[in-house]
Amino acid sequence: MIIILKKELRLNIKAFLVWSIVVGGLGMACILLYSSMQGTMKDMADAFSNMGAFSDAFGMSTLSIATIEGYFATEVGVLHSLGGGMFAAILSIAILSKEEEGHTGEFLYSLPVSRNMVVAAKSLGVVILLVMFTALCGCLYALGFTFLGETIPVREFLIFLAGQLLLDLEIAGICLAISAISGKNRIGLGLGITLLLYMYDIIGRVVPSLKEYLFLGPYSYANASVIFSDGDISVGAYVMAACVLVAAVAFTFTYYDKRDLAS
Amino acid sequence: MDNVIEISNLTKNYGKNRGVIDVSMNVKRGDIFGFIGPNGAGKSTTIRSMLGFLKYDSGSIKILGMDSVKDHVSILKEVGYMPSEAWFYGSMRVSEVIRYAADIRKKDCRAEAEKLCERLKVDVNKRIKELSYGNRKKVSIVCAMQHRPKLFIFDEPTGGLDPLIQKHFFDLITEYVEEGATCILSTHVLSEVNKYCRSAAIMREGRLTMLESPKIDDEEFLKYYEE
Repeated sequence: MIIILKKELRLNIKAFLVWSIVVGGLGMACILLYSSMQGTMKDMADAFSNMGAFSDAFGMSTLSIATIEGYFATEVGVLHSLGGGMFAAILSIAILSKEEEGHTGEFLYSLPVSRNMVVAAKSLGVVILLVMFTALCGCLYALGFTFLGETIPVREFLIFLAGQLLLDLEIAGICLAISAISGKNRIGLGLGITLLLYMYDIIGRVVPSLKEYLFLGPYSYANASVIFSDGDISVGAYVMAACVLVAAVAFTFTYYDKRDLAS
Repeated sequence: MDNVIEISNLTKNYGKNRGVIDVSMNVKRGDIFGFIGPNGAGKSTTIRSMLGFLKYDSGSIKILGMDSVKDHVSILKEVGYMPSEAWFYGSMRVSEVIRYAADIRKKDCRAEAEKLCERLKVDVNKRIKELSYGNRKKVSIVCAMQHRPKLFIFDEPTGGLDPLIQKHFFDLITEYVEEGATCILSTHVLSEVNKYCRSAAIMREGRLTMLESPKIDDEEFLKYYEE
């Protein structure tokens, strides 16, 4: 298992570095821009907080973008949650199917290793890469705060990163299940799922009748604006995330072990 | 002589499409077993069922006395398989692929792999994506042989190999078989069956027929491929 895990980490290290540096680096750049925008931010914050549904959707009705916390939550929060979700989807949706798409399955599965072991090793590889992605991005954001001489709101910052990691794991779990079914890489589908889940959260915050169903989507508990404004995150959202993750992983193991592998 | 492979009433369908129907065959220890038949006849389906890539509908497969479903991983420890299309991870070097296969087998195969690479003229420093089809096949042969398995399964192994490497390949098979291994050779090349196989079977439209002798002439061989 360790050998397959090491190979997966090695094969995906470039993608990990590119996504971490791009998302984390952009986030840090965004934070650094705060000082140059601080002067004009007050009027902008007032305008943004009075835009009705738009302000609700992006959390600007509860959080002022004139403060570093508000600025981080509305700008970097969106960037990270979308970037991280996309990275998780791209990484996970091809993790099993690439063996059939690239015709390497006949080599791998002719070696004395069970399919469950392969799924376990590859899944663990995805988890490790997502943890490293979150940690590296978190370090870059913290570096941004330090450069600006601003105090990091540690509690909210850690809850935000933990929420992002859970969001990425949930999307990765869904995409892993799709990868187990499909013999082809479905990167477009993975990205589509991420965007759809994000849009679901945005729409849910605008449409009053949908608000009570926000917990169904992973972006509800990972919403930086809610976290940084000390808003309540429904426990149901975490329970839902755990259920989806467990169901997706259980399905992957069960289904992949029973299906025919394409040559 | 005991049976290394025992297949009984194997049936596999792909939805409504035919795979193999009621296939039964035995392969004895020390045999080089020729497996011939037209494209789509079911040879690869039989082989892929033996290796656990496909979940068959009914029947049973025993390899080296072990059940192909329950003892899947134990069987693969004793099998060296070379698929008809030899694909590996493009960014890896040949040496890394060979070592990767050995590491998963938890065996130190360095000496045997070195010997095989020398005889088959494999450049271990090249990346897989730089290799031609024939050179990828040579890497596949090394991966199938380096752990000195008890059973070799080769699916159209000589396509893309030059005549000298083909000769070295069959020399190696002969040597391993003399030391007690068994070999299944799925092929379309009559001369390979005639020269090397000790028994043979033909597959047509999903059904298997054992041949009385693998020594067959061109006309008889081509008849098997006619509708």
